[in-house]
Amino acid sequence: MMANLRRPRVFIPVILLVLLALIPIVVQDSKYQQSVLIVCFLFAIMASGWNLISGLAGYVSLGHSVYLGIGMYTGAILGKAWGVEPMFLIPLGAIVAAAVALVVGIIVLRTKSHAFVIITIAVLLSFQLLAANLKKLTGGSDGIIVQQPSWAVDLGTKPYYYVFFALLVLTILLSAFVMSSRLGAGLVAIRNDEGKAASIGINTTVYKVTAYVLSAIPFGAAGALYGQYLGFVNPLGAFAILTSVYLVLAALIGGRGTLWGPVLGGFIVAIANEAATTISGGVSARVLIMGAILILTVMFMPAGLLPSISSMIERRKAKRQTVKFIDQASIASSLSDVDTTLIAPRPHRRDHAGDAVLEVRNVVKTFGGVDAVGGVSVALQRGSITGLIGPNGSGKTTLFNCMTGTIRPTSGQVILAGNDITSERVWTRAHDGLGRTFQITRLFKSMTVLDNLVAPLERTSARQMVAGRYTGDEVERARDILEFMGLQEFERQNAAALSFGQQKLVELAQVLMLRPSVILLDEPASGINPTLIEKLANVIRRLNEAGTTVLIVEHNIPLVLSLCDHIHVLAEGKILTSGSPEEIRNDPMVIEAYLGPDHMLEAPGV
Amino acid sequence: MEIVQVLAFGLLLGGVYALLASGVTLIFGVLDVVNVAQGAFLVFSALFTWQIWDAFGVEPLLLIPVMGFLMGVLGWGIYRGMVMRVAPQGPGMTVLLMFGVALTLEGILNLIFGNKFKSVTPPYFTESFTIGQLVIPLPQLISGVLGFLILGGIYAYLRLSWAGRALRASAQNKDGAALVGISSVKSASFAFAIGAATAGVGGVLLSIMYPIYPATQYDWIARLLGIVVLGGFGSIPGAVIGSLILGMTEAFANTYLPQWSSLFFYGTILLILLFRPHGLMGAKTREDVA
Repeated sequence: MMANLRRPRVFIPVILLVLLALIPIVVQDSKYQQSVLIVCFLFAIMASGWNLISGLAGYVSLGHSVYLGIGMYTGAILGKAWGVEPMFLIPLGAIVAAAVALVVGIIVLRTKSHAFVIITIAVLLSFQLLAANLKKLTGGSDGIIVQQPSWAVDLGTKPYYYVFFALLVLTILLSAFVMSSRLGAGLVAIRNDEGKAASIGINTTVYKVTAYVLSAIPFGAAGALYGQYLGFVNPLGAFAILTSVYLVLAALIGGRGTLWGPVLGGFIVAIANEAATTISGGVSARVLIMGAILILTVMFMPAGLLPSISSMIERRKAKRQTVKFIDQASIASSLSDVDTTLIAPRPHRRDHAGDAVLEVRNVVKTFGGVDAVGGVSVALQRGSITGLIGPNGSGKTTLFNCMTGTIRPTSGQVILAGNDITSERVWTRAHDGLGRTFQITRLFKSMTVLDNLVAPLERTSARQMVAGRYTGDEVERARDILEFMGLQEFERQNAAALSFGQQKLVELAQVLMLRPSVILLDEPASGINPTLIEKLANVIRRLNEAGTTVLIVEHNIPLVLSLCDHIHVLAEGKILTSGSPEEIRNDPMVIEAYLGPDHMLEAPGV
Repeated sequence: MEIVQVLAFGLLLGGVYALLASGVTLIFGVLDVVNVAQGAFLVFSALFTWQIWDAFGVEPLLLIPVMGFLMGVLGWGIYRGMVMRVAPQGPGMTVLLMFGVALTLEGILNLIFGNKFKSVTPPYFTESFTIGQLVIPLPQLISGVLGFLILGGIYAYLRLSWAGRALRASAQNKDGAALVGISSVKSASFAFAIGAATAGVGGVLLSIMYPIYPATQYDWIARLLGIVVLGGFGSIPGAVIGSLILGMTEAFANTYLPQWSSLFFYGTILLILLFRPHGLMGAKTREDVA
């Protein structure tokens, strides 16, 4: 922590925060400044909270101010009932907001991002209606007058100032904590590619709901205080859509997904709003100005201020650095000898299997009237390398997707280690020992190779979510695996900067972090050069020697023939034949399925 | 008998909603953009209808083609000028862009018309149509029937014409459509224009049914988007079903529990999403196959 203080991106904001804390003491008669800064604090708190779900996980909420309103009403209603100042009910405001967010989140986050945006608006308007209609509880549209503070008048608004300030600091600490934790890494992974995140064991539902609940907490806390500060609470003020606009704008201008961006943005928007009010007056002008700023920001500075500045600095730095040349051949050849425990599968809790590790029984998948897979039964023998081949459109990918859980079979069963996983979620399969790669690689492009490797999770647990991103033995194992694959040079590179073939190797390395007992490879050799194919074949052999069962779906027949113990040939959604590489090579049915019935008659040279 | 009356109201209300929501779902289907400015578009159209009616006494229904065309042109311009540039950054950013457009329009309308309710009241505004015991206000009847007819026309056009087929092709597979010579930019601008035009037409229809002021855009967009979520994104039949559900819930709630009508609808949405996260007619797509 102390060492961190030397870095400019840590000490500059800290100094600014200290200065802010001093303003009411140092500046004489600072009532006006305080009132402006209190709004700045409020906006910064809200923008930082919003950033947790919308910046990190990428689920844009346009109705997040609902949680501010819930905090305001919690403080006002309970304060009145109990005869307490709402200020002392700040923790309750946070709890009620979190509880509502939990219920809403569980329903709303099952939908994909588009529907999410919309439902958040509906939730906000629903609460506005509720507040206006539950007259006994909320006083209807007239609202509730909130008890005024008990402190001496000459203190002015200083106590408000400092409590808001404290809430801001707490919010910043909360988001710093989330960002440095595994939870934060998982959320960024979800923003990058949700399906991929699930496939490496991230329980996306739990992660998103957690982020949503955490993001509501600062709103609820600040709401309880803000209601008292305003002196009264009414439906239109508490559940205003314009508040949502301000906070979205704040986070956007400052920089979504960063720690300080939303804070900076909150100050900018609050001050701009104050200026707009003093200059033009009227709500209409403010709506127009905020709308125009939103359009301009989205069009011309979508990343926000802080990320734009830091990428500018980095480009400067990059100009001064020389680029290190990495010899492709060295990657391909180095396959250092490592302890096989590194790449060996981990024992799985629920492993009741006999010989077959992964099995599909009578799997049928129909799309409309087409039987893509029409009743296939296949078993992968423990410790084998099995190939699945077949012409285009034979149902390979569909069968593969049924195994990985991307699609659910119309009928039939998928059995992993003796357990029926037909209706299990994708991440549970990953936890139970099923790893997969993608035909077109799906690494998290905005993350480094190392971050990609530490992202996979072997289970879902609260302890793991709060653990630091680079704590535990994962980092060490990730480096060992990179070294085993000959990829250690790329550790700090962004995944997007690698060639396609390198990305394929990194994706395999990523899956190895899960220590799976079965790895499903979807066309591992497509689109990469022969040297890397050879390298890949070696890695697969080594994995297999260490005890991993492998399934390869591939069009590169020589590779499949040389690598596999057993091969299944799929044609028109059914198993055409199965056998050893030798048997498959000479099977006339296979040749016919691939090349058509006339091929045998018209051999070349005739 | 009261039930029949309520059902008839619900059906007619559903007609107007269906037209407006189809515009949203069409834009989403072709462009992957959630047009949260549809509410602002329709308020824009309704207020200009009021202005022209107020100033010149023109029959508002005659303005349907005019406002449809004008909003279509505006939609086309917004797509070419803004949405097209922001689209590569993904749906999260286009939503924010359209939100900015909605606020800007609201602000402009506020400056022009002020924050007061405006109602278009042509001579037939207070008349009703009676069959037996069934009494239906004429504006409701006209708007509902026209809503269904115009939507039917658009749907038939999308199904039967070459341009409609190109649009649907582009909605299903942009790259594939481009390979067979369909310009994705052209079909996207076309879709955006039609989507905005439905708001132009719908704005006229709403102006004779409800008093309108700029900030009512939030109520409208919440309803329209709710319908689209309920019906399933990108599905026009889904939008029609969602509209009928909303029309019916509102008609029933208005008769029996007037204050709670919107809440009933939002409640219905949340309940349905609990069981069908992709909406009633939304298909789960094969996201994995690259």
